[in-house]
Amino acid sequence: MRSEVLILALIVGACTWAFRYLPLRADLKDLKPDGALARFLAATGPAAIATLFVAEVMPLLKLPLTGLVPLVAGVAAVVGVFVWRKSAVLATLAGSAAYGIAFALLG
Amino acid sequence: MRELVKSTFWDGLLTAVPLILGYLPIAFSFGVAATRSGLSMAEAFALSLIIFAGAAQFLALVLIAGGAPLAVAAFTLVAMNLRHVLYGPALMKRVGADASKRHAWAWSFMLTDEVFGAALGALARGRAFSEPFMSGLGIGAYGAWLAGTAVGAYAGAGALDGWPAVSAGLGFMLPALFLALLLSILQRAQLPVIAVAGVAVVVVTLLWSGTAGLLAGMIAGAVAGVMGLGRHAK
Repeated sequence: MRSEVLILALIVGACTWAFRYLPLRADLKDLKPDGALARFLAATGPAAIATLFVAEVMPLLKLPLTGLVPLVAGVAAVVGVFVWRKSAVLATLAGSAAYGIAFALLG
Repeated sequence: MRELVKSTFWDGLLTAVPLILGYLPIAFSFGVAATRSGLSMAEAFALSLIIFAGAAQFLALVLIAGGAPLAVAAFTLVAMNLRHVLYGPALMKRVGADASKRHAWAWSFMLTDEVFGAALGALARGRAFSEPFMSGLGIGAYGAWLAGTAVGAYAGAGALDGWPAVSAGLGFMLPALFLALLLSILQRAQLPVIAVAGVAVVVVTLLWSGTAGLLAGMIAGAVAGVMGLGRHAK
């Protein structure tokens, strides 16, 4: 195993654990709901996930027009199943399945 | 007042069944993608064992394969997981300040987006909070994640060569996951933050590089939040 991969895993794993555990212990009663830190915390999650979604989709947009059909099917399935079931897991699986099926149908 | 349903470790495991079914294929695709990116089976399994955060792990593959410096990769992945700081306070707000947190150092390791969502859903349906319940829920999800990763990494990069549609579908798993996560936390007040992040990642990726685009999108979105765009978001 490469040491840089292990070090990266340990750094990210330790920070992720701290992010999950320490706020459970912290007293956030004094955190002003409209303060800069609260706004930063509220914006970080959506910003990170939106960034990652756009970054993942950008290469798919370079495909020929027929290549966009699976993308549209996959996105539609994610949105539709999420609205229906309110489950990120089911929506993810449905989107993946729809993309694969559309890809197969296009041959 | 509705009486709360007692929550044992086994109740937690039972509640985790949908997560287990969902995590197995996603973790399998992670294992396959990891070997496709040049990681060994041990390296792929170590990422799942130590980090246990799906989206960050997939991104780690991109950063490792792209040769990103360790500091840049670590900062990007840590920034991505920063959203997890919100889950503990949100959970404790739901169960009350008197809830036991004695073993939270252990079960909080498994407090992923989905475990958090499943826990809140169970509490909303009248189940009482308990640390054994949280442990069962987390261990079910963690076990599925590790098993799926191991099988995917063992199957290897060429496992899906004869199945192009399956390979394409699994390749879309990550964008689908991000979109689903975005929908799960979406609030109208945060649309400006999301728009700023999206524009920033597109512009910087086209003008510079994908890694710079990722950083620019996250930072621009967070700064937009601090500046007051989407300020009514909870």
